[in-house]
Amino acid sequence: MPENLKRNDGLPPAMTRLVKELSRLPGIGEKTASRLAFNLLNRPRQEVIALAEALLEMKERVGLCAECFGLSDRPRCAICEDAAREHDLICVVEGPADLMAIERARSFNGVYHVLHGAIAPLDGIGPDDIKVSELIARVSGPAPVREVIIATNATVEGETTALYLAKVLKPTEVKITRLARGLPAGGDLEYSDAATLSSALNGRREL
Amino acid sequence: MLRARDYAEADRIVTLLTRDFGKLSGIAKGAKASRKRFERKLEPLSCVTLFFRRRPHGQLVFITRAEPGETLHPPLDDELTKLALGAYMVELADALMREEGEAARAFRVLEDALAAAGQGPPTLALRQAYELQMMEATGYGLDFARCRLCGNRVETLTGALYFVVARGGIVCGRCRPEAPEGAVRLEGQSALVLAHLAVTPLELIASATAAGRDGAAALNRFLMTILDRRLRSADFLDGVL
Repeated sequence: MPENLKRNDGLPPAMTRLVKELSRLPGIGEKTASRLAFNLLNRPRQEVIALAEALLEMKERVGLCAECFGLSDRPRCAICEDAAREHDLICVVEGPADLMAIERARSFNGVYHVLHGAIAPLDGIGPDDIKVSELIARVSGPAPVREVIIATNATVEGETTALYLAKVLKPTEVKITRLARGLPAGGDLEYSDAATLSSALNGRREL
Repeated sequence: MLRARDYAEADRIVTLLTRDFGKLSGIAKGAKASRKRFERKLEPLSCVTLFFRRRPHGQLVFITRAEPGETLHPPLDDELTKLALGAYMVELADALMREEGEAARAFRVLEDALAAAGQGPPTLALRQAYELQMMEATGYGLDFARCRLCGNRVETLTGALYFVVARGGIVCGRCRPEAPEGAVRLEGQSALVLAHLAVTPLELIASATAAGRDGAAALNRFLMTILDRRLRSADFLDGVL
């Protein structure tokens, strides 16, 4: 549409700009962005300043841990700095949210390696686009590594990444394992799909 | 399932090759949240039975439910090369098919190819046979069995052979003493192998021989011409196959 024929949305330019910026965020369309903008307009000035400062502080301070590539506001993250954790046990995850999920389970005391993505041939994302070479360097480096647990998602991309990592890490002779797949806690066999049941049967354990 | 991507908080936008309706794109509302209606079924490479309705406005159909398909191919996720070849197969089908065109033959070719890849081993011969048969199913059939000008069978031809994109097949050196512009020079044996792969059932490909580099170059030249781009999954496949 030519510039001079663009519809006037009836908002002051500052509001239009905010709506446009908010609607860039995932899951937020123009309507939701407008609702958020009006909500912010009606909030006390101090709250809006606190939000703006929090955004800026996050952007300025948060970076990646030099060792595991998880989120950190220091050169090395708190997990990598923690001497009580097993540093020879590395859990490989696709993203920081997966790291947080495993931490919430409170049953893993090793350290992590965050790939920041997964190999997705259909999207043209290859091993060079994620932190694979950094993992190989870490596992082959001077610090001893006992086991690498591959905890990528149970999707086509996650499985491709897991199989690729298993292939490229094989020469290091480090033990490589993959998270088990199977029945969810509280799940009924009757309602499980064939792939889940098949994985659960293959990954059964002795009692 | 050819491709899928997340949309908004819990939806998925998916593209599928269907037996009865051709290539379809649709939106599955709540696909990420509803384990009962969609759990793990809207993933590329999966075979599903789909329930959908058309929307009066808009090109995307409204997908209400997905169940495991009738013909489940063997899983591909136990070997890297199987996954890489499977991804290439669905991307090629997606690129060659138009929305809602007739697709029963293409569906059968893709189904058989994924089954063959799942049974393994995934080979270069399977890739080439799939390329030839999917192109044929989508109206881009190539003829490697005879010269496109004189009609003589490749077994009887001597001397140089050329694959010519515009002819959709080979021409012999007797018909064209000089290499046509943009042609790929082919060994007679490669032409024979490609002619064989084009008609061999995909479930029997495991023990077949692949065409050499010249044959692969001919197929690649043709695909680049009709698609006008290299498939995204091709580089990864070339790296592992």
